[in-house]
Amino acid sequence: MKHIKKISNYAMVGGLGAVLVLGLVGCEDKNSQKNDAFTNASQKQGAFVIIQEEINGSYAIVDEFPSANTTIVLRKPDGTERILSKAEIDALVREEDVKIQNGTSALTNPEVSSGNGGMGLGGVLLSSVAGAMIGSYIGNKLFNNSNYQSQRRTQYKSPSTYSKSKSSFSKAKSSTSRSSSSSKKSGFFGSSNSSKKRSSFFGG
Amino acid sequence: MKLKQLEPLSNDYLESIGFSWHTDLDESSYISNEIVVLSEEEANAYYEASNELYDMFCEAGQYVIDNDLFHEINIPFNLVETIKESWEEDVHWHLYSRFDLAGGMDGKAIKLIEFNADTPTSLFETAIIQWALLKKNGLDEAKQFNNLYEAIKDNFKRLITLDSDVEKFEEYYKDLGWKILFSSISTSSEDENTTKLLQHIANEAGFNTEYEYIENVQFSDEGIHKDDVNFEFWFKLIPWEDIAIDENELAMIINEIIKNKKSIIFNPAYTLMFQSKAMMKILWDMYPNHPLLLETSFEPLVNTKQVEKRCFGREGANIAIVNADNSLDMKTDGEYEGYKAIYQEFYEFNQDKEGAYYQAGVFYAYEACALGFRKGGKILDNMSKFVGHIIEE
Repeated sequence: MKHIKKISNYAMVGGLGAVLVLGLVGCEDKNSQKNDAFTNASQKQGAFVIIQEEINGSYAIVDEFPSANTTIVLRKPDGTERILSKAEIDALVREEDVKIQNGTSALTNPEVSSGNGGMGLGGVLLSSVAGAMIGSYIGNKLFNNSNYQSQRRTQYKSPSTYSKSKSSFSKAKSSTSRSSSSSKKSGFFGSSNSSKKRSSFFGG
Repeated sequence: MKLKQLEPLSNDYLESIGFSWHTDLDESSYISNEIVVLSEEEANAYYEASNELYDMFCEAGQYVIDNDLFHEINIPFNLVETIKESWEEDVHWHLYSRFDLAGGMDGKAIKLIEFNADTPTSLFETAIIQWALLKKNGLDEAKQFNNLYEAIKDNFKRLITLDSDVEKFEEYYKDLGWKILFSSISTSSEDENTTKLLQHIANEAGFNTEYEYIENVQFSDEGIHKDDVNFEFWFKLIPWEDIAIDENELAMIINEIIKNKKSIIFNPAYTLMFQSKAMMKILWDMYPNHPLLLETSFEPLVNTKQVEKRCFGREGANIAIVNADNSLDMKTDGEYEGYKAIYQEFYEFNQDKEGAYYQAGVFYAYEACALGFRKGGKILDNMSKFVGHIIEE
């Protein structure tokens, strides 16, 4: 069966896989808005982040992509997953903020991260692109810090995750070109009737 | 045929992921809780057959253009120029399509029923629902011929790389930044959510995208716009023949847009040739007695059980099954009477113990990439059910 590509949990439906699976196993965060796995795909103010906890207790970002709401999924070494609650996220951000203040955060102090084999969950979270939004109130303490800029790159499981994540976020603010023509027509199919309800089907 | 009974996905769950069309008009579930069990060998045969058929359709497309057979295959005249233009350049990339096939199980040979090349549905069902069904039931989701999501993602990247190799996408795209506008009609949540799933996949591929209902999209010789912003690419889940027949003015503007290279439209206009059921007659002329084809003619076949269909009929409408002695076996009405008729040799679908018939749908995106089934009566209509599958030895 060499031609038939097998799917794997996340590859198959990309980042969507995590959303779908969490709904299936019934540990969905009740606060997270439903019905928006992609129906709101064009309104990206938040992010969907999957963080892997390694057996040695360190953390890495496996995947991250824009979504309407911010959701952080923590995947344990045994493969189980759960969504971090708003309270947990806030607590992690607050803890990291305190560490940044007193110079013990790996985000801003390279000696901390090299000393204990990696960042804590809060540090990894804030190093994600999403983290910049979540922790926006401490963002200005981070963004001007060169160590933070280099640290965050290392928290992704692979360089492609980082560059993919970065590029998919930058498109939210991509510039748009204006057209000067004023003779445009619209309103086609404006009175679509029932005969066009379905576009195509397994007919025949 | 072997089937496996599974615990169904709840309607609440289906709705939570945007799959709103889970229940048919008679209140029955559209997603079957039984799935087809097939062998690796059978799955691979569907894959090989679809790849071969796609190559044959490409040959046939060239043949139609070279011999000016547009009228023969019932193509509306106002799209002929657009079709020719789209055929000439690679950037008019065929994103995805679906072959409907009979046979393939219980030792029954695979035969082409038709090719949904322009606006195929069942995308959501095939890519996601049947996968979730395995996942929910604790089955190995890797045992499914289903690479649809990734295959379409890679094919989106090829709009930029125009090559089997998609590695260079990001390098090229960062300088281009070409945007895709996705559109469907506003009165069908099925179409809207299917279109938004495609938009999501394009986003993941790395494209800048927007969504807008067709009636709000602005067209001019200068291109395709939303809120006065020009879009280089436009994806429409609207059949080309509807554009040609219901919105002639739009067809004319699109002709200019394509000619002047202002916007590229997906699926490309040439997919309307593939979509026409008359192509199966062209294929039979080019590849007579090919094992994957059923004899097809523009005239009724003699002394042969056959199916009369309309070139652009859908959902099992306007179909007649006629016995070899010319008596009528079965007939459906519909709104596609106006299209040209074709006559295709009858071939029985695989059947389960309850007597239901199964048709395979194989998606194609650069290569065959996913399998799903439909089950129903002898004529599969819009009350037929979607059936997932699992590969077991």
